Amino acid sequence: MSGGSGEEREQQRQTSPLPGVSSSASTSASTGPGGRATPEMKRSTVRSLIQRYFHQLQSGCGNAACTNANCASSGKVAPMTPNEVAARALQLFSQDAQLCENLGQAEAEASPSVAPVSVISTLDIDMLSPNDSSSSSSNSSSSSSNSSTSTITSASTTTTTSTQSQSVPAPKSVSVPGASASPSARATPPAAAPISTSSASSSGACTTNLSAVKSLEASCLISLYEECVKKDSYDKLYQAVGDVFSCVERLSRSFVRTPDAEEEEEPPAASQPLFPAKPAEPLNKEQLRTLEGEHDKDEDSTQQAGAVASTDTAAAAAAAAVEPEVENDDDAGPEDVDDEDVPMEPAPKCEAKAEPVDPSMSSDTLVDFEGLRRVQRLLFASKSRTVTDKLTSSVIQLADWIHYMRRYTPDWEKVVHCLVICFDLATNTNNMDYLDRVLPKLCLAAASMSVKAQARLARIWAAHCSDQLQTLVSSCQQQITLQVLLDEESVRENEHIKCVTKVLKIVFYANILASELESPSCRVSADELAECAASTSADGVPPEEDLFLYNQVMHPHMPKFAEDQMEKALKVSAIDCRKPLVPLEEFYNEALSENIQMHHDYLSYKSLAMESEVGSSHSTYFSFMLYAFILTPATKVDALYYDSRMRMYSERYSTLYSIINNFGQDGQDAQHRPDLKLTVRRDQLINDALVGLELVAMSNPKDLKKQLVVEFVGEQGIDEGGVSKEFFQLIVEEIFNPAFGMFVQQEETNNMWFNATPFENGAQFTLIGIIIGLAIYNNVILAVNFPMVVYRKLLGYRGTFCDLRDYSPTLYTSLKSMLDFEGQNMEEAFDQTFKISYSNVFGEMVEHELVPHGQEVLVGQHNKQLFVDLYADFLLNKNIQQQFNSFRKGFEMVTDESPLKLLFRPEEIEMLVCGSREFDFVELEHSTEYEGGYTEETQIIQDFWKIVHAMPNESKRKLLEFTTGSARVPVGGLKCLRLLITRHGPDSDRLPTSHTCFNVLLLPEYSSKEKLEERLLKAINYSKGFGML
Amino acid sequence: MTAPRRLRKELGDLQDNTLKSFRDIKADDENLLRWTGLIVPDNPPYNKGAFRIEINFPAEYPFKPPKINFKTRIYHPNIDEKGQVCLPIISTENWKPATRTEQVVQALIALINDPEPEHPLRAELAEEFLKDRKKFVKNAEDYTKKHSEKRPAD
Repeated sequence: MSGGSGEEREQQRQTSPLPGVSSSASTSASTGPGGRATPEMKRSTVRSLIQRYFHQLQSGCGNAACTNANCASSGKVAPMTPNEVAARALQLFSQDAQLCENLGQAEAEASPSVAPVSVISTLDIDMLSPNDSSSSSSNSSSSSSNSSTSTITSASTTTTTSTQSQSVPAPKSVSVPGASASPSARATPPAAAPISTSSASSSGACTTNLSAVKSLEASCLISLYEECVKKDSYDKLYQAVGDVFSCVERLSRSFVRTPDAEEEEEPPAASQPLFPAKPAEPLNKEQLRTLEGEHDKDEDSTQQAGAVASTDTAAAAAAAAVEPEVENDDDAGPEDVDDEDVPMEPAPKCEAKAEPVDPSMSSDTLVDFEGLRRVQRLLFASKSRTVTDKLTSSVIQLADWIHYMRRYTPDWEKVVHCLVICFDLATNTNNMDYLDRVLPKLCLAAASMSVKAQARLARIWAAHCSDQLQTLVSSCQQQITLQVLLDEESVRENEHIKCVTKVLKIVFYANILASELESPSCRVSADELAECAASTSADGVPPEEDLFLYNQVMHPHMPKFAEDQMEKALKVSAIDCRKPLVPLEEFYNEALSENIQMHHDYLSYKSLAMESEVGSSHSTYFSFMLYAFILTPATKVDALYYDSRMRMYSERYSTLYSIINNFGQDGQDAQHRPDLKLTVRRDQLINDALVGLELVAMSNPKDLKKQLVVEFVGEQGIDEGGVSKEFFQLIVEEIFNPAFGMFVQQEETNNMWFNATPFENGAQFTLIGIIIGLAIYNNVILAVNFPMVVYRKLLGYRGTFCDLRDYSPTLYTSLKSMLDFEGQNMEEAFDQTFKISYSNVFGEMVEHELVPHGQEVLVGQHNKQLFVDLYADFLLNKNIQQQFNSFRKGFEMVTDESPLKLLFRPEEIEMLVCGSREFDFVELEHSTEYEGGYTEETQIIQDFWKIVHAMPNESKRKLLEFTTGSARVPVGGLKCLRLLITRHGPDSDRLPTSHTCFNVLLLPEYSSKEKLEERLLKAINYSKGFGML
Repeated sequence: MTAPRRLRKELGDLQDNTLKSFRDIKADDENLLRWTGLIVPDNPPYNKGAFRIEINFPAEYPFKPPKINFKTRIYHPNIDEKGQVCLPIISTENWKPATRTEQVVQALIALINDPEPEHPLRAELAEEFLKDRKKFVKNAEDYTKKHSEKRPAD
């Protein structure tokens, strides 16, 4: 226990008695050191203190200029034997003698509060102190505390001029640690040290003391600022900022919101200053008592009560300062302070109560944002650059300390308080210096917090700083982009980027929390899913008719290691959020996504996966795939691509292996192909595909993960991607043809929706599910037009009322206006029962009762919400449940093991499947390459683009389909298409042709623009089939 | 024949309290979702005839709006040659499920009596209506005489 700097001990003392509460100074003060600590705790604290005295006497603090008479470094300590030293140490302890700071520093170099030492000692103290006494607005407080403390300090043998250090700069607000005199040296030794040094160097013994500022409130900081402006000297402000912002302990007591109801006078002024003082005193007494073996404290209570009663708000400061003294005199127990504090500051009390339940669930914070922002303007607008600089360097110190302390589980509650303050300063300023230097450090600090603390931060941000989130996002993005630009090569190893990414995740969740959330969550629980799956095979089609016997247990989409801890802690999901406050697209970082080299990141992801399988959790790997929000869809597609290729190759290798093993045995080779081969007839497309895929699904569903190779019977195309593209396109065309009866086209939106009364069995829905899965897997874009709710449902969410907006806008607005209807005559106005009607695929009206005997239940004010929810549930879930479950089963068969769900939100899956919906042919032109003698300068190429740009959208779509096999824009835009235009001989009558697998357009060099246009239009309007032109 | 309760009630109400300008309301025998009725406008140039309309209710009524079609040809800037009419109250954006068919019909009658050339379905008629009112009125009257149904006698 020889180690332990002052900071650390302070942490210990204040956290252990009542963990998590101490963000409020009052509680920390009241629970105090001795208060509820276990006897062991007290003893160890005492022991460590005594040891420090011992070291100080024996070896000194190392500061040559040390003035402490009880420090070997000062040269004032007479040589003693170790035994004498021990005795003296004990004596000093009981006297609360001064402890040198440097000692602490030597023992634990991490305490940031050390830094102010040098700074403060250089301050011109003469300037400050005289003013202090004169400007003290509550002289009573300082004087009374003076008198009270002097009793103790007189006993002290050290240079305790600090008694007079009631040089409270703007006493109302700035609390002065020195007030508690020497004992404070123990509470916060780092602060005490500078005092003594400075006092020694200054002339006047009693006036010149400058003590560290223990906490700041907005009002006091402002008055301090005004005072400084008046004097045109910012030293005091400088010191205060430096003291407070560099130390978690102090900052966590600062900018505390005050409950306005209870106090007439400025409460922080009254209540704050005593906090730093108090912990010291009771500790003292407690320690002594522990030493002496006294343990009864009960008698204190009553006496204390009297003292409490006397605490009037008018003289609050004074009384507060006296308080410790009273306690000492009466031997009052520290517990009582608790009671006394209640009226003064109820807020912390509340929080203390809420805390034990689950601190991370609370969004309460004591940070006084209003005050903070007033202060912020002042601090950054201040003409004195030094103050801003000081602030910056102090916060950096603070952040470093937090980062350093992360392994010692500091009191995260305090840290969160500090970070809330510091981040708030960051988002409210345009001081580039602060942003550039501080933000990375803050991110480092925030990223090193525990998940719970991060969740807490997210909640606070969501509840109190929702207007700052946008700024926070862009600041973080700037940081990341900057780092990426500075260091393009090793983006993935860059610690800064990782930290900011982690912080961005906190912001991401804060953003979701701050938005309107679907409640209860529309996530379908795993049990329900299993039930669904079971019910389809059970009550649906009889098993022998269900062609896809896929009864394998579905693999969870989400491997355990990849589960989002924040999501768990906060119990929210991005998908529950319909309209995010900050659009989720703003979380994409283009620069990062472009430079990330996804294959490396995928390897990290795989390593994480492997590690979690082995069970080692102390991982050094970092994969951005677990921070998918920051990656653009195009980059995530890369990740998916590597994943599917990995899987395909591993399937392929194992197949090759088995081919070699089975070499010589005949007949088996159809089952051991390294790819998924499908032979289909054009006129029997659906049936052939169905039978083919069925066989695969029954014999070995894993084969579905192999690369798809399609062969049309009687055609010679070698499938390098182009043939399967066409296969997908044709099959989708056919399956979605309303005449086929599986899907109906919704008049209003042109979306496809499941036919609730299909003629086909579930197998065909499973087939289309497989097709969609395969399309994602094989990087093919399909011309399907589902409403978004289909993708949400695929990812395990149920359709709710909000989904109707996209499913049928009219229905949505109608139901919404029903919900908004406020009249009490609702039953008459609507005449609506719980029986609804819809038209089936034949245009017949079908009726359905949403509840048993719904026909007799009228919708009124009391049950309108229920009606709307049931209505939506019926349309989106119940009515198509069987069809959808078959569909999802097919989808899962292909995608069950892929990181699809980890990486993509429903909106992004839609983009993945259908491409984005806009054509930007200018983008296409810019990214097009030329071969065979064409350049962008060639006349025919210039004509080509002129023609294309003038085309109507429909023709553009056809051209796209002609050259790429799909009418949809790939994820990432047309520029990702890499169209290649090749010269296909000189002028001739041949039509242009294309290789859809490579997106190549073969264009003869026609003699005129007119001819080009004519040939081109003919080609795109009459194309079908592969290699026919 | 099943129909939403609301629809049956509305039909009954409309048939009971006869409107002067909307008569002869019937629901299709086979399909309660299809009604017909006779619009009898008051204002010239349409006050010389009557116009048969058809109201089609979607199965989801009243959560989706009904559609109105003119079975009788009419010379009107807001009604096209196919008999389609653009009535804001039943557009998908404005539709409120609490809106009654009676209100819809009232709005329709108001539109017939006072054309809105600012939102025409037939631009040439709207232009004529604005620039040469006399000619428009004459054409409309001729058209009405030629095509419209007889006004009920009372």
